[in-house]
Amino acid sequence: MLFSSVTFLYYFLPAVMGLYFLAPRGWKNAVLLLASLLFYGWGEPRLLWLMVFTIALFYLCGLAIGTAQSRKWKKFWLLVSIVVSVGLLGLFKYADFFISSMNALTGLGLPLLHLALPVGISFYTFQSLSYTIDVYRGAVPPQKNPISFGAYVALFPQLIAGPIVRYVDVARELDSRSHSWEDAMAGIRRFLVGLGKKVILADNFALLVELFRQSGEKSVVFAWMYAIAFTLNIYFDFSGYSDMAIGLGRVLGFHFPENFNYPYLSRSATEFWRRWHMTLGGWFRDYIYIPMGGNRVSRGRWIVNILTVWMLTGLWHGAAWNFVLWGLVFAVLLLAEKSLPGLQKLPDGLRWLYTMLAVVFSFVLFNADSISQAGRDMANLLGLGGLPLLTDAAVYYLKSYALLFVVGFVGATPLPARLGRRISETRLGSILQWAFFAGVLLVCTAYLVDGSFSPFLYFRF
Amino acid sequence: MKQNKIGSIGCILLLAVWAALTFGAWFASPEAVSESERRPLAQLPAFDFKKPGEFIGKFEEYTLDQFPLRDSFRRLKSLFHYHVLNQKDNNDIYLVNGYAAKMEYPLNTASVNRALGKFRNIYETCLKGNCENIVFAVVPDKGYYLAQPNGYLSMDYDALFSMVQGLEWAKYVDLTELLRPEDYYRTDTHWRQEKLLPVAQALLAALGREVGQGSYTPVNLERPFYGVYYGQAALPMEPETMTILTSQVLESCIVTNLETGKESGVYDMDKLESPDLYDVYLSGAVSLMTIEHPNAPEEKELIVFRDSFGSSLVPLLAESYSKITLVDIRYVSSQMLDKFLTFDGQDVLFLYSTLILNNSATLK
Repeated sequence: MLFSSVTFLYYFLPAVMGLYFLAPRGWKNAVLLLASLLFYGWGEPRLLWLMVFTIALFYLCGLAIGTAQSRKWKKFWLLVSIVVSVGLLGLFKYADFFISSMNALTGLGLPLLHLALPVGISFYTFQSLSYTIDVYRGAVPPQKNPISFGAYVALFPQLIAGPIVRYVDVARELDSRSHSWEDAMAGIRRFLVGLGKKVILADNFALLVELFRQSGEKSVVFAWMYAIAFTLNIYFDFSGYSDMAIGLGRVLGFHFPENFNYPYLSRSATEFWRRWHMTLGGWFRDYIYIPMGGNRVSRGRWIVNILTVWMLTGLWHGAAWNFVLWGLVFAVLLLAEKSLPGLQKLPDGLRWLYTMLAVVFSFVLFNADSISQAGRDMANLLGLGGLPLLTDAAVYYLKSYALLFVVGFVGATPLPARLGRRISETRLGSILQWAFFAGVLLVCTAYLVDGSFSPFLYFRF
Repeated sequence: MKQNKIGSIGCILLLAVWAALTFGAWFASPEAVSESERRPLAQLPAFDFKKPGEFIGKFEEYTLDQFPLRDSFRRLKSLFHYHVLNQKDNNDIYLVNGYAAKMEYPLNTASVNRALGKFRNIYETCLKGNCENIVFAVVPDKGYYLAQPNGYLSMDYDALFSMVQGLEWAKYVDLTELLRPEDYYRTDTHWRQEKLLPVAQALLAALGREVGQGSYTPVNLERPFYGVYYGQAALPMEPETMTILTSQVLESCIVTNLETGKESGVYDMDKLESPDLYDVYLSGAVSLMTIEHPNAPEEKELIVFRDSFGSSLVPLLAESYSKITLVDIRYVSSQMLDKFLTFDGQDVLFLYSTLILNNSATLK
């Protein structure tokens, strides 16, 4: 089920919130678990068993790790949880990628499996892995209540597109959390900010991306509009989803970690990844990079560590070579930035420009259907694709989207949030902000009612 | 403290709006059809344990179609899209001087060639050697007059007209100079019948028929006309008045639907309650029909291959012929025409809009 759907906003959410707040304290996690299973099953009724199996697997492995007497058995149960869950992730998400790559490499004709990709499998697998790893490390005791644990794994606000909430971050709130009117108001505001980002901004930029793809009148200027539109589309889509998840969590008494911190203000690729999808970056840092030795190893080994982590980061985003290459591009940029300290001395504006060019080109690679298409798209951006500089289509869409681009550029900075805070500090502002958010709800509803089905980009991850 | 209280009131009001819409979504009686969109609306599906996915898809459609104040929300979206985001079109519909038009872009040369291939085939199999007087005319859509001067994308009309002008088996008549934007409905794709006398005269002249004086009486239909773009644009546009041209000749004409054998007048008043009021002209979409003029001064027949633009124009040709046969190959296969019609010395008119030529997949 999509957050940005009439079904979610006007059927599922009101019903679940009603039941949740009417339920006695001891029943709230059960309500959340059942609602989350319905939420998951709504999109994937035939794969509901996979969610139930994942909950059972990690619950039992967590208990076994917690109660095992020897290190050897703890490690055994940890490995069981890793091998089985990563195996399922590999089977559903990567099997066809590996088979087709193998076929291309060896000339074999192995048949593809064509398995449906379970929604959000990368997110909930990584979340669950953080649980057994942290229990193994002794950072957190195992959860004994299967209902509470199930509610954590399947929790609908962040089930399908993050942020990746580690068990340790919400362990206390799972067992005992408080609800307040202030938290609810903050959560509603945050949810509506995310809804507006997704429906009004991301979906309109997605339309321009699609128009470029379908256009028979491409030009260099149109190619740049496409690249920038996709860069804004993916940011508002993904950060909008994270805002909605964090807002819903807040209403329900949870405090989820932030996932974005204005990444398009970054002045280096390194800084970009400190601001973009922060929970994924943190997960790879703590559970892959540091266990591999991090940067406290020889230079050669450090380079291998960086390349490995970024290749996996790319692969996490999708089972295709352009995603792998996308991850490796960032690995190279990060290594270059670490090896060339002189880069830090360049003027801020120049560093920002370099970073944004790198990000825009990387997202062109990210959004391509194949490496060859990525090559063509990049050649078009550089004026090497044989396209005219400008066509009527580019002029038309530039005029039509000019204001949306300006809104997108400003919306990717902290200015709107600062302005909102300043306005809400006044008495008039405190009521005006709610009029604004009511307007956001109504306009988003209007877009949903008028528009067609528009899935979140990050669903495929 | 007071500020918090004000904020709380604001939040409660927002939740009240949310709750009211939720209540409406759950409990409002479902509508059967959307008049503005001219389509049936999805109804609550029955749950099928064997096909839960199918139920989910249909339920999503149902929630969108039956959302309370659906038309108002669609209008809000359009207004926001045009006036706040400053987008030049909404779902490819744009407005110029109160005229709604759809961006028909780009020119699909394959589609035009496909249509011309169909027409050529009709000529080769039915007309060649049987009917010598053949005229071909293209009805420009509104975009021809509105798009380019106002910065909207449109098909390459020059290229399209150059493709149709060179047909060696038909005489081409250029209609572009005879029409202006005012000759079309503001809210619809179609042209206004009361503005078509110059077009009718030009076509009759090309067919070699005597051009009448056009002594018609305009009659306004009472029911307001909401064209197809009214629903698609979802903007607060005023409804229009549809006018039909009557005359003694037209009142004496007998229209026969060859599909059903049903006889009616040139204007089908049974269609006054139809979702599309334009169906009043010759009963709307019909594959084969005839207009017989019993008091015609001479026996001369015309066959018109046409789309919906022909419905309002062809009555204006009726005075000059004893019988007109209308053929719409969107609803009857062009390869089976000789089974239904006899081609024997009739005049022939091909009258197709740029919209159909650019989207000819519908031609059979």
